[in-house]
Amino acid sequence: MMWVGWALAALLFLVLFGQYLAGQADIFVSIANPRPLDEESMVVVLKGWGFAAHAAQPFVTPESDHGLCDVRVFATRRQTLVSLASFGFLRPVTVAWRAHAGVFPLGDA
Amino acid sequence: MPIVRLGSEGCWTNYHGTGTCEAATRFALRSGDAERGRDEIAIAAGSVQDWLGDAAAAQRRVRPLGAGWSPSNINVASQCWLLHTRRFNRCFGIDAADVRPGVDASGLMLVEAGALVDEVSDKLEQQGRSLWTSGAGNGQTFAGAAATGTHGSMIASGGIQDHVRALQIVTPAGVHWVEPAAGVMNDAFIAGTGSTLLRDDDVFAAAQLPVGALGIVTALVVDSVPKFLVRPIQNLRKVNRAALGWLATGDFRRFSAAYALDRDPDFVQMIVNPYKPFKRPAMLRFLYREPWRDDYPRATPGQLGAGYDALSLLGRLLDDYPWARGALLQFAMKLGYASGPDVDAPAVYGSWGEGLDTHRPLADLFNASVTIDRADLARVFELICGVYARHGGSTVVTLRFMSRAQGLLAPARFPHNAVIDFDGPRSERTAAAYARVVERLDAEGIAFTRHWAKSCNLDGARVATDYGEDFRRWRAARDRLLPDPAHRALFGSEVLDGLGLTC
Ligand SMILES: Cc1cc2nc3c(=O)[nH]c(=O)nc-3n(C[C@H](O)[C@H](O)[C@H](O)COP(=O)(O)OP(=O)(O)OC[C@H]3O[C@@H](n4cnc5c(N)ncnc54)[C@H](O)[C@@H]3O)c2cc1C
Repeated sequence: MMWVGWALAALLFLVLFGQYLAGQADIFVSIANPRPLDEESMVVVLKGWGFAAHAAQPFVTPESDHGLCDVRVFATRRQTLVSLASFGFLRPVTVAWRAHAGVFPLGDA
Repeated sequence: MPIVRLGSEGCWTNYHGTGTCEAATRFALRSGDAERGRDEIAIAAGSVQDWLGDAAAAQRRVRPLGAGWSPSNINVASQCWLLHTRRFNRCFGIDAADVRPGVDASGLMLVEAGALVDEVSDKLEQQGRSLWTSGAGNGQTFAGAAATGTHGSMIASGGIQDHVRALQIVTPAGVHWVEPAAGVMNDAFIAGTGSTLLRDDDVFAAAQLPVGALGIVTALVVDSVPKFLVRPIQNLRKVNRAALGWLATGDFRRFSAAYALDRDPDFVQMIVNPYKPFKRPAMLRFLYREPWRDDYPRATPGQLGAGYDALSLLGRLLDDYPWARGALLQFAMKLGYASGPDVDAPAVYGSWGEGLDTHRPLADLFNASVTIDRADLARVFELICGVYARHGGSTVVTLRFMSRAQGLLAPARFPHNAVIDFDGPRSERTAAAYARVVERLDAEGIAFTRHWAKSCNLDGARVATDYGEDFRRWRAARDRLLPDPAHRALFGSEVLDGLGLTC
């Protein structure tokens, strides 16, 4: 019986470790022909298993009048650990984006 | 007003995160809506000159920024005014009536300094034209890429700065239109740009590759060739040691026949695992140029073999598990590369621009390189890989080829050049291993230069020896553009001062 317990514990550990690694993966969405400006980022904390979300700062991006080129969502090692340690109650993620520089038609010199 | 202030004083970090400008005041130069390009750049240059005056009055140094891609920190200066240029990105066709007699205007385009290489490439292709070379990625600004001599691996071409035929440069004392003594644009056009004409071969050759030290480049006249197609072949092959000898003597045909098509290639790139470079398969990429035809089957950049970023993803693992480096690198090479079209796959084609990708920031990268005389390749390549691997370098080693490039400070200064790049995940151990490579090349008495943009640890004394008489000419040209030492200092930074470029 003992070994079943150990096997279960090992399985649970592997499940958790898998979540720890996968939690740090990058989710990256981009438009087809990007002309990106500098990357900006903010941290969003999902609370209560996703019932509420709270950003550390408002979504302000200085040069977004031409829209966004790409968005990345990822968690750092520390953010993943916070999420695991709080049993998923807190789920901090970093959202990073790059605004678009704009594309003008070819003019005459 | 084309220049706007962005937020309040703060930090700005470059693309690779290798340097931060502390207490920087950020400004952005933006395109306007003037109908003609010359009017647009005249307005912008005037604003830039006023802005430089304001910076000097505020006792702040200035730093123009392209895409911020250079990890050598030549794009970093603290307590300074930063000028972001990426929104200054319009392109304009040039008419035969705007150039001097005898100059062919059909390939020329007026480009605002912040236009990305990708944008310039797209605009040229719309007109049936193309760049003839560029770097592996195309997300740099044209001015920023030319500023450091960005290059690819087109065997018969130099650097991206070779496309530049004339430039507008703004200093606190004036707006200069710089071109070779033979001239390119006519006087009426130049007057329309609000610039003072400076036709001089040395000043032009200095300004083609200014390393950000000669003023603010606001516009460039970029040359092109008729649009062409490339057929890529990409594969993983064990390369025979003897093949290095073929490459060293320029027998690319033989190399291509052995590992890809029995044709003269236009582009050859070899990426090896420095841990046993000839025992483990190398990633080979060949491009074969073909005449343009409209009905070629379209392929995605991925199918055309653009980018090899998966390599950077293994960064942490490589650093954490030194004993597994060789195997991990090989695994990454397979993951990141094997998908390209091999000889027996159906042929795919693309334009020059379609085969390149704007880079996506996946992980912190280390970039460094040495440029050697191609004739030395067979003698030094294995030596370089050996030293690098022995000291724990955790990146692949890439071999690229190019001809002598234009610009007094072009690192590709041998008639035929082999560029050896160390590109991959960043770590201190990797940087130290690269430093050992440099030491060893010096100890063996092998001539080489280093890339201005990469983490190559150059200093002023070394720059002076590497470039010799050309460096003296570059400084003389700089002093003509910026005769006042205070104006030279305005463009200074810790890094540029250290390289002997701004003081
Ligand atoms: C993913 C990636 C791939 C790369 N691939 C290659 C490659 O294949 N081959 C290669 O050779 N290099 C390569 N590089 C290096 C890159 O091409 C150079 O760093 C290039 O200079 C970056 O251009 P930028 O627009 O980002 O310029 P920045 O890094 O912003 O600036 C470079 C210098 O130019 C100055 N500058 C910028 N704009 C102006 C202006 N308007 N007027 C005056 N000075 C200006 C800056 O002050 C700085 O001194 C690569 C870099 C990255 C990140």
